[in-house]
Amino acid sequence: MIYDQFLQTLLGGLAIGCIYSLIALGISMIVRATDILHFAQGEVMMVGAMTGFSSGVWAGNAPLLALIGGTFGGGLMAVAVELGVYRPLRARRVPLINVVIATIGVSIVLQNVARLVWGSEPLAYPALFETRGLVISGFTVSPQLATIVVLSVLIMAALAVFFRYSRAGIAMQAAAQDPDAARLMGISVERATVNTFAVSGMMAGAAGVLLGSLFFASFNMGFITGIKAFVAAVLGGLGSVPGAMVGGLLFGVIETFSAMFISTSYKDAVGMVVLILILLVAPMGLFGRAGRQV
Amino acid sequence: MKMPPALPRLIALLILVAVPLVEHNAYWLHVFSLALIAAILALGMQLLLGMAGLLSLGQGAFYGIGAYVAGALAANYGVPFLLTLLAGGLAAAAASLLLVPIVRLKGTSLAVATLGFSIIVHLVILNEEWLTGGSLGLMDIPKPTLFGVSVADDDVFYWVCLVILVLVFVAMDRISKSRFGRALSAICQDEEAARASGIRLAWSKSKCFLVAAFTAGVAGGLFAYHSRYLSPSDFTFNESIEIMIMAVIGGLGSLSGAVVGAFVVVLMPEVLRSSGELRMILFGLAVILLMAAGNLGIVGLASLAAAKLFGLFSSARAWVSKPREAN
Repeated sequence: MIYDQFLQTLLGGLAIGCIYSLIALGISMIVRATDILHFAQGEVMMVGAMTGFSSGVWAGNAPLLALIGGTFGGGLMAVAVELGVYRPLRARRVPLINVVIATIGVSIVLQNVARLVWGSEPLAYPALFETRGLVISGFTVSPQLATIVVLSVLIMAALAVFFRYSRAGIAMQAAAQDPDAARLMGISVERATVNTFAVSGMMAGAAGVLLGSLFFASFNMGFITGIKAFVAAVLGGLGSVPGAMVGGLLFGVIETFSAMFISTSYKDAVGMVVLILILLVAPMGLFGRAGRQV
Repeated sequence: MKMPPALPRLIALLILVAVPLVEHNAYWLHVFSLALIAAILALGMQLLLGMAGLLSLGQGAFYGIGAYVAGALAANYGVPFLLTLLAGGLAAAAASLLLVPIVRLKGTSLAVATLGFSIIVHLVILNEEWLTGGSLGLMDIPKPTLFGVSVADDDVFYWVCLVILVLVFVAMDRISKSRFGRALSAICQDEEAARASGIRLAWSKSKCFLVAAFTAGVAGGLFAYHSRYLSPSDFTFNESIEIMIMAVIGGLGSLSGAVVGAFVVVLMPEVLRSSGELRMILFGLAVILLMAAGNLGIVGLASLAAAKLFGLFSSARAWVSKPREAN
């Protein structure tokens, strides 16, 4: 049954990778639109996990409501920090590194506010999805992991449709590519930036619900996950949407397989070594566009 | 009339020297010594970030390497205090040579690659029990002695840290005014122009990493004697991020700013201890608010205020002493 084990591990890696991808997408979009390295993206994810938990429990273990609650919680939180912190900082024309450190400040604040609101104990998510093993043509498949992969793919597909066909999505891309030209075309760059934070926060919030349903939700779940998503985004090429998706998947699969075949204690190190090697060969990441300074 | 530039530094030094004479509480002296060690770390970071514009998140790793090398040499082989500090610094500097291939990365890529480096070093410290004691930590680090005299008392150890901080500060000050320091600030402003002026980019950047790593290693050695017990959780990547906050919060590019930033980052959570659960929230808010001050940082804001006061004072004196025409 070595095949079975391999597939199980692969599915686990893909599920974790999808979660990284969702967070990495937000990080990448924010970098592309504002040049800000958003260190608080993991905390936005955590807020999504918490609001998803609360709305799921309030609605009596309704998975869909948990997902919606988490998505909106993350989106609202991201918009709040953009309007309340980053926009005023940008308006004061402080150097970029100051805004980046302010995102660390935001991350500290969110973590500790969440500890006050939801307590410091990890919260066990109610069983949102089927947990019995499904047997598909002889292979056991965990429905939980499969649901995570399917949901993430749906969310990313929705994002692609949004970018391709909606007015707001096209405006966001235009504003990110060339703010001045976008302004001349009558696009409000300010609004496009808020939209960017909203969409990236919603994806992080959804990722939080998925991650919480897999393990636990706790106030300190965000930072390390955010850092890993960061690495995934850089791996794929910061600022590139397909790069963030592939980078997240790749990082999740590498992490899971090295935990399985190399050592559990060094699973994070393997991912970092791969990251450094890829950056040495392609300093802009896998899908990064050369010539653009990020 | 202008304020002499060295005066505030001299006053600050005198205050720092006097701290143990005024404050006898062992706990607070312990915290103040930690702030001095953090200041050494922040000075190293200022060389990287403030002068050369290199956003490295690997300083926590070099701090850890220095601490473990110094601690292990002292605990297992009885190597004297100053030699272990030197060994810690040299080991960290040697480890920084591993980063030579990645110094050519820019901006975010450099930050994330060095972050990866500090995560790897943390995992090695955590998992290689034969080398570091693993998650149990490194214990039994002896009390520091200088030429046979114990310097383990809280006040004496504080002064030892202060002397080393002053040495590092003077060294950094000299570096910033040297050819090497000017090369670094040229790289910070425009890499291509610097290269065109004959500056070897990879060489200068690697040297900058090396010096900063040595500084962090010495700070790590001091920390080993300060806590006399090393735990892997002291050297996670959070440490690197905290060091970056110190360098920026006080004023990017300013050496005094690095020292002030280190004191703020170490002391503020202690001062806010009475606010209990709100402590870290207030700390985060303070970080955000200070970032709104822009490039100036705390030191810039303070000197702006001081210059205003001083200007007010001297213009008042000029007004008083101005010869008036008889009317």
